Amino acid sequence: MAQRRAIGHAGWGRTIAAAIVAAIYFLPVLIIIMYAFQGRNDILSISARSLGDYLESIFSFTPTLSNFENVFFRANIIQAGEGAAQATETDFPLYFLNSVGIAGISVILALVIGTLAAYGFARFPLRGNDTYMFIILTTRMLPPIVVTIPIFIMFQVTGLAGEYPGIIALYTAFNLAFTVWMMKSFFEELSPDVEDAARMDGSSETRVFFKICLPQVKAGMAATAVFGLILTWNELFFALLLTSNETRTIPPAMVRTLGGEVGADYGLLAAIVTLFLVPVLVVTFVLQNQLLRGVTFGTIKK
Amino acid sequence: MTQASDSMAQGAATDRPVANAAAARRRGSFVERNRGPLLVTPALVTLFVMNIFPLMWSFGLSFYDYRLTRQDLPRFVGLDNYARMLADPSIWESLQTTALIVAGSVGLQMILGFFMAMLFQPIFPGRRILLMLVLAPMMLSYVAVGVFFKLFYNPNFGLISKLIEVFQGTPPNILGDPVGAVLGIIFADAWMWSPFVMLLVLAGLVSVPKYLYEASQIDRATPWRRFWTITFPYVRSLLLLALLFRTIETFKLFDTVYIITEGGPGTATKVIVQYLYRVSFQDFRTGESSAIAYVILFIVIVLTNLYLFMVKRREQEQ
Amino acid sequence: MSDIKLVDLTKRFGELAAVSKANIEVAAGEVLCLLGPSGCGKTTTLRMIAGLESVTEGDVWIAGKRVNDLSPAQRNIAMVFQFYALYPSLTVAENLAYPLHAERLPPAEIKARVDRVARVLQLESVMDRIPGRLAEGEKQRVAVGRAIVRDPTCFLFDEPLSRLDVALRQQMRGQIKEVLSGLDKATVIVTHDQIEALTMADRIAVMRDGIVEQVDTPHGIFARPANLFVAGFIGTPQMNLLPARLIHYADGLGRFAVMGQELTVPVDPAVGRLNGTGAVTLGIRPRGFEPVAAEGADTLKAVIDIIEPMGAETLVHAVESGTDLRVVFDHLVPVAPGEPIRVRIRPGQLHVFDEKGTRVHSA
Repeated sequence: MAQRRAIGHAGWGRTIAAAIVAAIYFLPVLIIIMYAFQGRNDILSISARSLGDYLESIFSFTPTLSNFENVFFRANIIQAGEGAAQATETDFPLYFLNSVGIAGISVILALVIGTLAAYGFARFPLRGNDTYMFIILTTRMLPPIVVTIPIFIMFQVTGLAGEYPGIIALYTAFNLAFTVWMMKSFFEELSPDVEDAARMDGSSETRVFFKICLPQVKAGMAATAVFGLILTWNELFFALLLTSNETRTIPPAMVRTLGGEVGADYGLLAAIVTLFLVPVLVVTFVLQNQLLRGVTFGTIKK
Repeated sequence: MTQASDSMAQGAATDRPVANAAAARRRGSFVERNRGPLLVTPALVTLFVMNIFPLMWSFGLSFYDYRLTRQDLPRFVGLDNYARMLADPSIWESLQTTALIVAGSVGLQMILGFFMAMLFQPIFPGRRILLMLVLAPMMLSYVAVGVFFKLFYNPNFGLISKLIEVFQGTPPNILGDPVGAVLGIIFADAWMWSPFVMLLVLAGLVSVPKYLYEASQIDRATPWRRFWTITFPYVRSLLLLALLFRTIETFKLFDTVYIITEGGPGTATKVIVQYLYRVSFQDFRTGESSAIAYVILFIVIVLTNLYLFMVKRREQEQ
Repeated sequence: MSDIKLVDLTKRFGELAAVSKANIEVAAGEVLCLLGPSGCGKTTTLRMIAGLESVTEGDVWIAGKRVNDLSPAQRNIAMVFQFYALYPSLTVAENLAYPLHAERLPPAEIKARVDRVARVLQLESVMDRIPGRLAEGEKQRVAVGRAIVRDPTCFLFDEPLSRLDVALRQQMRGQIKEVLSGLDKATVIVTHDQIEALTMADRIAVMRDGIVEQVDTPHGIFARPANLFVAGFIGTPQMNLLPARLIHYADGLGRFAVMGQELTVPVDPAVGRLNGTGAVTLGIRPRGFEPVAAEGADTLKAVIDIIEPMGAETLVHAVESGTDLRVVFDHLVPVAPGEPIRVRIRPGQLHVFDEKGTRVHSA
């Protein structure tokens, strides 16, 4: 008891315990990252081994960057497993660009529309403000399939199915609910006194919004955009049904490669996952304080 | 709250000559008079077109016999779709499967998440970086988790199969067995989302004022007593929120099921969304699928309402 | 015996010394106030006594035992926290009973003790409420009740009244003093409010920047401030601290150059030792003056700048040769801005501080 620590501080003992838990939790992720640097043969040569040999083979291999090259430079690389009626054409460089473009544009659109709306909901409540907010959240909480049934018909009729504007519009709406809730929670943390003071000083409403409010929620907008990007990038369901060969994004493309038993190129898939995971981990580290708000769609601040 | 403060600010404004200028300008300009509605209109229009209108359409469709693949005009059938749905044993089976997976996965998430939060509550060297590693599964995509857990469950070269092999000697065919498949889905989902519960519980833990722990030290409380009288009350509401949020999210579980088992073997892992996917986009029984969608919609609305109610209550407590 | 003794107590956070070599003794039954501006180290000192903060150097003795290495629980102390630290999910009755659980008393005994404390502090009507539904004053009383419900070796209070409004504060000051006077324990109260310290304490320790500047009775602190800091910190309105030069001392009379005038007044004989150095500070409390009609060697003159009526008295800010002078007059004395005033220092109201700021006085 000679060395008592202040409450809330644990020492290296806790570090060791936490490190063990973190290692177990992170192991699957680590294996995915390892796969990304392995050739196809390395991954499939590990069958029929004991666990020890297995783990050893996962961590000892000749690293290669070929998987990453394939993501960016080589089209039409995968055939479906034997027995498939036709070879599945894949073009990951295109899907990558599609994902970047579709996610990027829809997140920016949602951020613009959603930030304005969030400011409105936070500062100039309408009658039934809470009801609007509830409906908006519900659209986000719904399984995508519930909306997709009529959307599918709508897009067939309007010719938007499989086209960029269609999926971008859908993702914009998908992100909008999230953005409105997130941004509203940020606006609500600002003191309205500052805005009122600016109004007293003769600032126009536009000026109050752009010069007083927006600068204060810049970090929040960045966080919202980042979480929106993560959600959109990972979205499978809409993309599965509403993109075509030309507009396909990464998630449905990954699913399509899972043909037969060993048909999938796990190295390539791991490379895709790793490419996205690394920036996401950095974001997790940097935005640790906003993480809770991000993953609960802005409903819980802290 | 905001409503009150806003009207108060405006009320105060009219009392003062300086503010009268602002009020006059507000009266003069259409934009400044309707700033609230104008700000939210673009968002509401977008959501209406992409979400609300389709939902209303879908509601209408649920009263028609309609198949997307056929050229026939929709035929009004009243409540037939609902009747057929209620009579169909497979939807009840799906709901049961969903309930089982939700209970198993969310239960596991709560337990794992809670203990991890306790582990990560204090400050210790390397906490931030280890926390980031633990949070990584949550930041993965469902597709990544689906694809690679399918591989991990592979009897020949799967990590988890190998692990089980150590205990039982032979490599298990996890996904070939109905119980194994359900457990496999639960395990993957719980692994992915227990960090979420941890994050919420951690938020509750850090909101406990330090002086309460100090007071309990001076009052010579045992750690057990300290936990139940101080720590737990602060975590309780967030545990409930985590439970509701994860229940809603797990209720809509689709991606991992679609990738790992496609509902199989047989119908062992056919969750409700997977079932709906089959009815709407493989059988193309569009009218009936709309009816099922509305049942799901109803369940989600109830849960979301409950969730927001708890969020509000917690905010008021603080 | 129940006493507290701090010997060369020091706390460093890295380079920063929060408390340096504090030496304080608190006898059983005595109430000591740690008084000082925020950041002076008074709370850190209290937390070291409680065991909530580790000791860098020096020793804490409680009831004749060195307790440096004991946990707060092992020290058998009771503490009232600044934010009360009431357990939010427990009722008032449960909060009061909380410290008794460690003593393994029979439930009937616990109930009897809780009821007694509730009676003393008039909490009977709120026993079933949770802290969130209590008024501020009630919370404060529960916090005090939780401290006195058991039989600790000493009591520690951290800014106990800072969250109460003025009227309630006055009432609680009396109540706490009354409760404490019935107990034969050493008590340490941390406060930044000098009125609180002056009214509640048997002795006051004034701290600044981690250093104990003076330990004395409330009267002693007020009447004989050890240095410029204590002189300026204690007393409202603040004591006048006038830069001056000692011209001459002889036979108990000091002649000073101050505010562009010469002033000859009776001073402590120890001032004689200062002959030669010259620069001093004269400290006179605003109430230490009396108005005079005629000029004399022992009077000061100045021109009234601002007047602050304070009811029974009037605070006058006057200026002369660039030096401000605060004087409190009876409200019947007619004053107006721009008018000259002439005042004499009342006997025994003059303090002389040397160049280092220490009060000059014979032992």
